[in-house]
Amino acid sequence: MKTQAKAILVDITRCIGCHSCERACKQVHNLPEESEPVLSGTALTVVQESQGRFVRRLCMHCQDPACASACPVGALQKTSLGPVIYAADRCIGCRYCMLACPFQVPRYEWDHLAPYVKKCNMCAERIARGETPVCVEACPVGATQFGDRAEILAEARRRIDENSTYVPRIYGAEEVGGTSVFFLSDVPFEKLGFVTPPSEQPMPILTSTALSDIPTVVVAGTALLAALYWITQRRQEVALAEAQESQPLARSQELVSGWQKKGVKS
Amino acid sequence: MTAFKFSKLTFWRVVVTIIFAAGLYATLVRFAQGLGASTNLSDPFPWGLWVGLNTLCGVGLSAGGFAIAAAVYILGLERYRPVLRAAVLTAFLGYISVVVGLLFELGLPWRIWHPILLWNRRSVLFEVAWCLMLYTTVLALEFSPAVFERLRWHRLRDWHARWHRRILIPLVLVGVLLSSLHQSLLGGLYLITKGKLYPLWYSSQLPAFFFLSAIAAGLALVVMALYLCARSLRFRLDFAILHEVSRVIVLLLIFYALFRGLDLISRGSWEYLWKSRAETGWFWLEISLFLILPLVLLSAQRVRGSVLGLYWSCALVVMGFMANRLNVAVNALQASAGAYYFPKWTEMAISLAVITAAVVAFYYAALHLEIFPRRVPPPPPEAEWRWVAAFGLPQHQRGTLR
Repeated sequence: MKTQAKAILVDITRCIGCHSCERACKQVHNLPEESEPVLSGTALTVVQESQGRFVRRLCMHCQDPACASACPVGALQKTSLGPVIYAADRCIGCRYCMLACPFQVPRYEWDHLAPYVKKCNMCAERIARGETPVCVEACPVGATQFGDRAEILAEARRRIDENSTYVPRIYGAEEVGGTSVFFLSDVPFEKLGFVTPPSEQPMPILTSTALSDIPTVVVAGTALLAALYWITQRRQEVALAEAQESQPLARSQELVSGWQKKGVKS
Repeated sequence: MTAFKFSKLTFWRVVVTIIFAAGLYATLVRFAQGLGASTNLSDPFPWGLWVGLNTLCGVGLSAGGFAIAAAVYILGLERYRPVLRAAVLTAFLGYISVVVGLLFELGLPWRIWHPILLWNRRSVLFEVAWCLMLYTTVLALEFSPAVFERLRWHRLRDWHARWHRRILIPLVLVGVLLSSLHQSLLGGLYLITKGKLYPLWYSSQLPAFFFLSAIAAGLALVVMALYLCARSLRFRLDFAILHEVSRVIVLLLIFYALFRGLDLISRGSWEYLWKSRAETGWFWLEISLFLILPLVLLSAQRVRGSVLGLYWSCALVVMGFMANRLNVAVNALQASAGAYYFPKWTEMAISLAVITAAVVAFYYAALHLEIFPRRVPPPPPEAEWRWVAAFGLPQHQRGTLR
């Protein structure tokens, strides 16, 4: 079987707010069963009501995720199959991923003594086995669908083309360079509480330009400092020579003894 | 050997004891009950006071160390040598306090070493972690002579002195590079918060702003430390040095003000300057403390010419710098997070205790090590007034340390 990048499509017009996806998710991830209003360390997906619609929240699984670029120890990785996964054994608990995520998805186990980051992993272990994520499987009305990313995108476009009640925008197709979770809606996304990310460029570009300057800074900085140091040394040598010419003994001895204290070679 | 005596109960000893007791209790809460019980941090607000104060301010205010080291060793400005060790010591203690602060801040502090083995070259924080590790080592080596020269084992002492002389210049050079990178990359951490950080602070020039402001504030802290030590430890210090450092600070502040102003205009964010929002207030507080007040004060001959005037101008620069870092770390992120954050008392107690520990360590180092030159060359007669203007001490008391 070909390993193609997968994606999830959430059609808000079809969701009936039954919370089946939440329950299935909690079951498969061994989390306490009661439904929660917002994402948390024990709720990796939630269904929220807004403007008379039911809106699912979950990790967007960006194509080039801010969290993965931010993590200092590479605990967060984008896999070729689509999911952004978290390696708990690498994590140091700095929480920079939470600050970096433009969608405010990663959550933290604040009450644990050994706290970890929690977020949807798109059931990466199931996808690797060729299965679908449990939330998709649990949806009784097909509001959440799963498939190859290209096909899922085409399906979303087809629905918008065929039905004019949809907002003509696939949320996730362009945002931050594209994600692996798409939303369709008949109400403008801003009204449903979807964040508008700063640009259609992947977030890591914001920091990669600064990081790519480092080698230049190091090379130029070393050269500059070394040059300045050389000039300083040279001036001291010249001063010593001049002093020896004008005042053969007293002055030069004074200088030499002064520099020996500082550890300068005469 | 003198017999053990209880220290005299002074006001500051009582204050320090209270701070340490509160810090100790807060530490127990932090490690026995976790971050949830000891902080007001939350999912929408994962970084708070500890990052703003202990990390950003701690690293930033340590910048005086590399600036003075570069002046003395690289530029050959020998007249700064008397303040070199004090500057390196502030930096060294600053960096140690940052590392200690991180042990509280990290969710899994026992994995603090992970970045050594587990790399992510795309991460700003990864580079920051390496700068922190390497520059702390460099500072320890730069400062080591002050400790080794006190040793009684002659062979070890001589061996150290020999090696130190050989590696000193490369060490200083590497230190200047590492700390410059570190200062700017701390600003770089916030580049990825585009859309979250309030527009008065978010800029692609954040690394440059962090670098410039850190040098100014780091030098200001060195001036403060020198004044306080000169006052309480009664050693002699040429006021001209402080005066010259303050001129460098003024230049840096003017440059920073121009740079930041132009950046605001070029980003079209100047309209945010007058909006009636909390952020506007925070911004002007920061700008008044860091730029307006110090520049106005230091432009007056009367303030510039007096030690107290210099001291308070530098104190304003340091406070303004802290306002800037706390604004970036906390206030400018409040609106986008959609959550209110104000640090819990345990957070404040731990921050305060870590800072106090650094100050106390500085005090004892200044008492027992040769941080300040014991033999100062006699000042030229025309500069005699400076000593009196500086400390107003009578002639016979203007002795040397100890």
